[in-house]
Amino acid sequence: MKKHSVLLKEELCEGCTNCVKNCPTKAIRVHNGKATIRDELCIDCAECIRICAYHAKYSQTAVLADLQSYRYPIVLIPPSFYGQFKGFHPLQIKQAFRQLGFKAVYDVALAAEALSQKTSEFLQQHPGTYISSSCPVVVRLIQVLYPELTGHLIPFKSPADALAEKVRQEKINSGVPPEDIGIFFITPCPGKNTSVFNPIGIDQSSINQAISVSLAYQAVLEVMNDIQDFALVSEPIPYLGIGWGQVGGEARLLQEQFRKSTLTVSGIHRVKAVLDELSRNNIKGVRYCELAACDYGCVGGVFNVVNPFQASINLRSLRTQGNQMVTQDDVYYNFELTREIESLQLGRLDDNLEIAMEKLAQLEQEIEILPGLDCAACGAPDCKTLAEDIVNGLASRTDCMFFLRKQVVDLADKMSALVHEMPPVMKQRKKG
Amino acid sequence: MQEQVILRSAIEKGDFARGGEASSNLKEILRKLGVRSDINRRTTIVTYEMEMNIIIHSLGGEITVYIASDHIKVVAEDKGPGIEDLQLAFQPGYSTADDRVREMGFGAGMGLNNIQYYSDDLHVETGKGQSTKFTAIIYLESPSKEPNS
Repeated sequence: MKKHSVLLKEELCEGCTNCVKNCPTKAIRVHNGKATIRDELCIDCAECIRICAYHAKYSQTAVLADLQSYRYPIVLIPPSFYGQFKGFHPLQIKQAFRQLGFKAVYDVALAAEALSQKTSEFLQQHPGTYISSSCPVVVRLIQVLYPELTGHLIPFKSPADALAEKVRQEKINSGVPPEDIGIFFITPCPGKNTSVFNPIGIDQSSINQAISVSLAYQAVLEVMNDIQDFALVSEPIPYLGIGWGQVGGEARLLQEQFRKSTLTVSGIHRVKAVLDELSRNNIKGVRYCELAACDYGCVGGVFNVVNPFQASINLRSLRTQGNQMVTQDDVYYNFELTREIESLQLGRLDDNLEIAMEKLAQLEQEIEILPGLDCAACGAPDCKTLAEDIVNGLASRTDCMFFLRKQVVDLADKMSALVHEMPPVMKQRKKG
Repeated sequence: MQEQVILRSAIEKGDFARGGEASSNLKEILRKLGVRSDINRRTTIVTYEMEMNIIIHSLGGEITVYIASDHIKVVAEDKGPGIEDLQLAFQPGYSTADDRVREMGFGAGMGLNNIQYYSDDLHVETGKGQSTKFTAIIYLESPSKEPNS
């Protein structure tokens, strides 16, 4: 089964190790000149896509033509999508999606507002520090590198998943045949694309497919001029929920509407730094941590077209148009997860403690032997990781150029010493 | 398996720049040894607090961590000046840290409570003008202290 959204165009990969060094979970190694990803460590953060100068790393989603597979296609618009436009009203953008063939158009921001309410109630009942689970990359980062903190994740579905479930049920109740329904989510990042086929905390997502923001953006722009003002469907805009599209939006809602102390951090490497502190219990007085893997939040996702600075400005001006949440008293979202967010206990050297201790001693020896320059020419991100790969039987010392060179120099020394050694008979002849 | 040393780290007085290094290294080691992640977190927190205590309050010292088949032992021993009133030191919010240290965000007076809360067993030897030795035990199969578990 497909597990990830980040892919490699082998013919473009130069084997340069930039992605290897920048990967936050050290999931990439260059083997035979090509960057290969270790499935169990990849969290779909797209850092490798961002850094690859050769565009060898990429990601794919569904396309608009996939609408044809369903008689009743529905689209869910994430808050960040509105950041891609300046001068268009959200109602115009929603109308554009109808023009493209979607039978129904929903704002994920609505479910985001409901989730803020739900989160506030949860925090009321549970003391301690909790971490937002709305960025799936952060959740996977915690599962892989900070399994001790999985219990601190807010145990609720993402707004998009909860909305999809509700919408599907509503449509079935109103008589749409279940097999006709195709729910599409416009995704700003590969991370959320992965959650469609490989969800966290639920058995199956109600979303059928995800289409990247970049594809949706172009399609929306093409039909924008055809939209007549009188065709617009008047409906309340969840302006506060739309604020979720940029970093700080979640926290602001909780702080302003529910008076909860919050902390906001974005960018995967800074998120790791704050998780390090949370792990050693070194951040106090905070109830809710809004952590986003992308700089600037979802507007920083790699599928966006507009730069995250402009998108943040666009979203901010939209957000100021609302000062209260949309009343949704007649709706009910089911945010409860159906299974726990698993904490993956990766990185052990052996299941048996005594064998693991022996391997740990070996590992320290390997680290001593390697030069400690972290040049990554061996295909691993640094010397310590190469040492771990060696102990685990996945690499060899001679993968290290410096070690190899030293071996060659030693050998050359030996050879040159041997060259001057002559068999006794030849020595004689030379003298004669 | 008998107790075996897995980490030994000298800690210098006032060395904030390296504060947290011993506990970070320990976390990595315990992960490689396959110690349960919540037990790893408890050990890391205990070690971090001990490390910071040595940096802030003592004349310098050393942390040694041992592992055996069923437990981890963290020993922090400093060169003085000793804790005068141990009962008072364990009172939540009590701290002898100076303003400079408090401005750095430390010295909130919760360190010893944290050590006690996250250890299964804690033993302290100290006295005015003496060295202080903390010995904390955490059992590998001890119940989790994390939420939702």
